[in-house]
Amino acid sequence: MNGFLAIISRDVALGFKAGGGTVQTALFFALTALVFAIAVGPDTALLSRIAAPTLWAAALLSALVSLDRIFQADFEDGSLDVIVETADLLEGRVLAKAIAHWIAACLPLILATPVLALLLSLPAQGYWPLVLSLLVGTPALSFIGAISAAVTLSLRRAGVLIAILTAPLYAPALIFGVAAANAGASGAPNFIPSLLFLGAGTLFSMILAPLAGAAAIRFNMS
Amino acid sequence: MGVFYELANPERFERIAKPLQPALTAIAVLLGGAGLYYALFNSPADYQQGDTVRIMYVHVPAAWMALFCYSVMAFSSAAGFIWKHPLADVSAKVTAPIGAVFTALALFTGSLWGKPMWGAWWAWDARLTSVLILFFLYLGYIAIWESIDDKARAARLAAIVAIVGFVNIPIIKFSVDWWNSLHQPASVFRDGGPTIDGSMLRPLFLMGAAYMIGFGAMLIAAIRNELMARRLQRLSEVAGRKASTVNVE
Amino acid sequence: MTKKQKRFAFIGGIFAVAALAVTLVLTALSSAVAYFYTPSDLDALDHPPTGVIRLGGLVEGGSVQYNKEEAEVHFVIMDEAGRRAVTYRGVLPDLFREGQGVVVEGKLAPDGSVTAMQVLAKHDENYMPREVADALKKQGRWKEGETQNQ
Repeated sequence: MNGFLAIISRDVALGFKAGGGTVQTALFFALTALVFAIAVGPDTALLSRIAAPTLWAAALLSALVSLDRIFQADFEDGSLDVIVETADLLEGRVLAKAIAHWIAACLPLILATPVLALLLSLPAQGYWPLVLSLLVGTPALSFIGAISAAVTLSLRRAGVLIAILTAPLYAPALIFGVAAANAGASGAPNFIPSLLFLGAGTLFSMILAPLAGAAAIRFNMS
Repeated sequence: MGVFYELANPERFERIAKPLQPALTAIAVLLGGAGLYYALFNSPADYQQGDTVRIMYVHVPAAWMALFCYSVMAFSSAAGFIWKHPLADVSAKVTAPIGAVFTALALFTGSLWGKPMWGAWWAWDARLTSVLILFFLYLGYIAIWESIDDKARAARLAAIVAIVGFVNIPIIKFSVDWWNSLHQPASVFRDGGPTIDGSMLRPLFLMGAAYMIGFGAMLIAAIRNELMARRLQRLSEVAGRKASTVNVE
Repeated sequence: MTKKQKRFAFIGGIFAVAALAVTLVLTALSSAVAYFYTPSDLDALDHPPTGVIRLGGLVEGGSVQYNKEEAEVHFVIMDEAGRRAVTYRGVLPDLFREGQGVVVEGKLAPDGSVTAMQVLAKHDENYMPREVADALKKQGRWKEGETQNQ
């Protein structure tokens, strides 16, 4: 268990360090949302309707671009070798790394969401449903992403390939996340069911990520 | 299991596959010809859809094959993963492009049917969306193979991707039952038997059989191709090594 | 913990998480997540939804009225327990007819009717030639009751 927590605290600390990626990912998130807002132009009514989907899509893209940080640096400087050699259970270490990615890359985005929602004129009753859906759904982005990151570990310039592999698997989280955020804002009855589906997806990916990720790392290191 | 072990030897596979391939191709062409004849000329128009129903005979079997090919790919991947047998890896690898083409065909013909019937080329409905995702899963799987040079490693990593993506298959199958969907529910493989009239089932099953046997023929051809390409590569590597040692001497 | 204990804990954890996930899915499935609302779904809502909604159901027999001057069509979508008026301006799909299942996409007007931007005809799982449909109707084995041929 100590190794598990040690990896989380180490990765999170590295992420928040200057140049560690957390700030850059958050900036990317803000810029993606603003690009949408600028593209829509002065039509505030339209903007306020697409605010929640836009922020979900921006969160998805930000998770995508930050995925190579989960294992790549450790692979290059050899610390991943140490982790593989010393871990009793590599699956647990992979889970720790995915959780660390969520804390360092996704949690800051969720904290920044209310401010961006203001800029995108999200209606007031939409804030909590959006934040709640992101809290329930974005861990799935980190877990599924960890699998792709592990698969593409030994490839140079894996960025686009990671996106191609991961984006289709992100679709359910995006669909149910946006459905929950919209339903919560309008009082539609599918708010709770969508959140439940989202949560189930997060849990399933939490099982899948350590198993598939650890297998991929072993094949890449052998 | 005995049959699989026999087939698993590439040379035995070649001995069985070589005569099998033209035979399957001929059967598929015959069945497809008969199926198309019934589908286009000798089956009734639907009481609601009119002649547009004929698109179904191309569309529905293509959609079955889209799911079937992914299942073949995922199970071959799992077999290659567990028994580390190269033939399983090869069959998974070569199934992907075939499955992607069936998926594209299902999406395309579905769109042609949807425009006059539903009134839209496309709708973001659970069935349509999940099949589109399936298409991208195929492409991602192919991309993995293309970006890793080491065949053994590519096989293992691609297998992981295929198995993870398999969660989409039951979602596609049951999406129309679980959700209020625009796409019609299952008509053939459902509790209580088909809801398609017998005169329409005949061309549908003929086309389905033609696709299935055609897939068998294509699979065998593609596996033989891949085995030959690998043998060629090994030979040229050996030849290159010999040439370089000669040069050094 | 020893290596073996860790492994057991891990496998136990997998089953626990999977069981929880399945519970969530089953709970969610018991309340439908819909591509569209049915009229009775809409009636059951406390606050009518504001944005674009999809409404699905059968076109009520005898409710279709074409307004030539405004190039509008009015009809009523119904299900077992509810009905809802719809106004649409545009091209209707081939399958649109009375008794047919349709899904319309549009906004709720203040009077509770739906102003549709798009009308999609939903096809059911039955495929048969017209003669068979007619024979079924003659024998009184027709389920929907009011489907008409064009």
